Amino acid sequence: MTREESSKVTRRSTRFSSSVTSDNPEPNPSHPPTVADLTFGEESITLDSLLSSFPGRRSQILDLIRLIGPLDSPALPVILYGHASTGKTSVVLQVFTHLNRPFVYSSCRTCCTPRLLFESILNQLLLHSKCSSNGYASAKRCDKPSDFVNLLKEALSSVVETLNSTKLEKKLMGKMVYLIVDHVDLIKEWDKGAMILQFLFSLSSVLKMPQLGIILISGLPPDVYYSNMGYTDPLPVYFPEYSEEELRQIFLKNQVNKKLYSAFLDVALRPFCRVTRRVEELSTSLSSLFRQYCEPLDDLSISPNEDLKRRLYSNLRPHITSCLNEVFRVSGRPHDGDTRGERRQKASYSSEKGDELEILDFHMSTSAKYLLIAAFLASRNPATLDASMFDSTGGMDNRKRKRKASEKSMEKKEMAEQEAVMKGPGSFPLERLLAIFQCIASVGDSSLGEEEDEEGEEEATGYDKESNNMMSDILLQVSSLCDANFMIKSGSCPLEGSIRYRSMVSEDLSLKVARSLSFPLSKYLYRR
Amino acid sequence: MGKENPAEKALNLIRGRLCDPTFVFRPLSGPPDSNYSKLKFIVSTSITEGCNNSILLLGPRGSGKAAVLDLVVGDLMEEYPDSVTLIRLNGLLHSEDNCAFKEIARQLCMEHHLLFSKMASFDENSQFIIAMLRECGLAHKTIIFVLDEFDMFAQGKQRLLYSLLDAMQSVTSQAVVVGISSRLDADQLLEKRVRSRFSHRKILFLPPSREEIDSLLEHLLSLPADSSFPSGYVTQFNEKIKNITSDTRFKDMLKTFLNANSTVNSLLKFIFRAVSSMNLESGLLSLENFKTALSSMLRQPKLEAVRDCSILELYLLVCMRRLEVKEQSSYNFISVMKEYKTIHDSFQTSDFYAQNVCLRAFEHLREREVICYAENRGQSQAGEYRPMKLLISASELHQGMRSHACCPAILLKLLDH
Repeated sequence: MTREESSKVTRRSTRFSSSVTSDNPEPNPSHPPTVADLTFGEESITLDSLLSSFPGRRSQILDLIRLIGPLDSPALPVILYGHASTGKTSVVLQVFTHLNRPFVYSSCRTCCTPRLLFESILNQLLLHSKCSSNGYASAKRCDKPSDFVNLLKEALSSVVETLNSTKLEKKLMGKMVYLIVDHVDLIKEWDKGAMILQFLFSLSSVLKMPQLGIILISGLPPDVYYSNMGYTDPLPVYFPEYSEEELRQIFLKNQVNKKLYSAFLDVALRPFCRVTRRVEELSTSLSSLFRQYCEPLDDLSISPNEDLKRRLYSNLRPHITSCLNEVFRVSGRPHDGDTRGERRQKASYSSEKGDELEILDFHMSTSAKYLLIAAFLASRNPATLDASMFDSTGGMDNRKRKRKASEKSMEKKEMAEQEAVMKGPGSFPLERLLAIFQCIASVGDSSLGEEEDEEGEEEATGYDKESNNMMSDILLQVSSLCDANFMIKSGSCPLEGSIRYRSMVSEDLSLKVARSLSFPLSKYLYRR
Repeated sequence: MGKENPAEKALNLIRGRLCDPTFVFRPLSGPPDSNYSKLKFIVSTSITEGCNNSILLLGPRGSGKAAVLDLVVGDLMEEYPDSVTLIRLNGLLHSEDNCAFKEIARQLCMEHHLLFSKMASFDENSQFIIAMLRECGLAHKTIIFVLDEFDMFAQGKQRLLYSLLDAMQSVTSQAVVVGISSRLDADQLLEKRVRSRFSHRKILFLPPSREEIDSLLEHLLSLPADSSFPSGYVTQFNEKIKNITSDTRFKDMLKTFLNANSTVNSLLKFIFRAVSSMNLESGLLSLENFKTALSSMLRQPKLEAVRDCSILELYLLVCMRRLEVKEQSSYNFISVMKEYKTIHDSFQTSDFYAQNVCLRAFEHLREREVICYAENRGQSQAGEYRPMKLLISASELHQGMRSHACCPAILLKLLDH
């Protein structure tokens, strides 16, 4: 594949959303790639607009620009660090828009192996782009750091040469190329990641090419990269978390009615700041809250006076508390949020009454609910107590629990409790789950009969009639509960060889489920 | 381009100097007892007398081992233009034997204008290298093998080291192996068969003395008095540098910095940072530049991490700390939540959030590596139940919370008892 074949312009403006490896190929044969494509393009922004577009990042931007230095001045490697959503990547890319200098950007998020990372860098330097005409192949095949260094040297010297020869053109691009590697911290998780990291940190001394400036972006502070090999640390630039005032400026930036929004932020921002200061998380919860804030208003362009503000606030206040505790639902919870067969009820968002707890925000069949409870019980209760729990009288309500506890036994109890907390839910074989399921389903049947819950009764009686038929269905339910992450298969028992299960349901959720069946769960739960 | 600001030009010049190790280490190589002279003597005798040799350059990272070697090799290449071949390997890149042999063969081919085959096998490459060693020996050409990160080559079977050093046992070959390592015990890592073939010459690189640092600073920062700058500017600039370096406050700063890290390279970074913040309007460096550079170089990432935490995250950290004080051997999210709840119950704090919100805060802490899972096994267990541990010490937590922008007073009290 020659370079002519692979002619395609890389749209620099799409850099924010995607790295070059995933750019959509749009062959444009009329425009062969040039070195100029390594810059952002014609429109360069002024320093003032750059600074004003990043509230609270003034010192970092100035620091970065100074470290990169004037045109053609060699630079030592720089590492930018700071937590997620503190504007590291966008600051760097905007700084390069401002400086209008050639650079290569690769993120370890999209390039998840050394080979992808190396090839992505080389592709950009060689002005190669993957498209259908070259079978989406890279310019050079390269998966070892040793090959990468040789190829990088070649590619860089050719780029620098063209930069030198095209200097006479109107645009001033300098003779330097900058290499930006984003999400360096992800490399730690790679296979042999420590080596690659060490290699990246010492890349400039290995290459010995002053024409290459290296900028690393990391989510973790540099001290996590210390290894027993010693560490050549780049110059650090720290991006702290935004303060409340800075967050305010950020959220105010693209608002239509600034006065209204600022009144909203006056009341809403502070409580949320106490929980998290991440822009991405705040913006999701604040945007939904702002909609509720504006609900009583007909005209969204008014500037509120003190009285209106007060009224709006009293209207909003209950929402704030419920929203504060519900932030997690929006971003999805791994265990009981992201389940299949869930149907989220909008009512649970808006209703802030006490009985909200009663509402289960997803639907499942009655037998699945029983199975869920059975799994929960099997995980929490010790297996030895099953017989006494599920005897013919049903439940442990006649347990003698009033025995006075001595100090020593109290201590022991505490220890046991701590141990139980550390161990988490226990695992159980399928047979035990089915036995408990049968027991509680029959108990539920009888108690439901008294309470006349039709749905449950139908299910339970149907179960009684054709219990053998139900068994296959139950196994299906078990596997679907596993798929929904309510239960997990936790390895097989080394002695028996059978698969053991573990319930992943929190106590709150199982209580909710039990309440929806009006099943007396607490009666069956063994408490130490 | 011709009408460049002299300040910018000066900045570029000094930055260029700082990024060029050969320039930095040139003045340090003057005296006859310097590492430069020692190394040059050893290598040049083996070139002139046609013998084999091996040396280890040891010293902390950034003490200029590779730079001094580059100086020596550069000078020798000028002195004996046709009889020196340089082969460079780096332990980070070529620690694997196969890869190292291939790289040597490639560089030899480049040097001698031979055709290099990528497909050559390990045996072919090693035979080629031995043949080349013999040829070069017969032609009285010295091959210098530079093995950077020498300790990495001592991992595994050490086949590369063995075959190189073994080939050098013959009379016909003429080669020098220079190992560079930041591990002072690098020669102890060698296998017996390799060690017996190694010469055990070691050159140790020490941090620069005070006088050396002073002369280095002058060498790096003062502008040349030639025609490229306006002469008034040069004298003004150099005068200012002299003022700064003789200032006691500057000396104190330098001392603080060198106490933390005394290698030449870290000093260069410090100066680089100061120089790059030079005011381009006045075109002069100031003491202020060095002060800001010092504060941005000496960072305390763990404190910063604590300062970045939200109030809820601080609560969780304090809970974990309290559990540690209670000598609870291990704890997980559930037990932290229990502690959080007891705190809330007894003090009625305003910051009590639902468990899922706390779990998210917990995950944030884990992402920042302020806390981590205590052990790697038990992956099947859900995150809430896996035992955790704090990655910051009590004093760091204390200090960080004290300097936190809006840490509630009750938290500090809770941390103490």
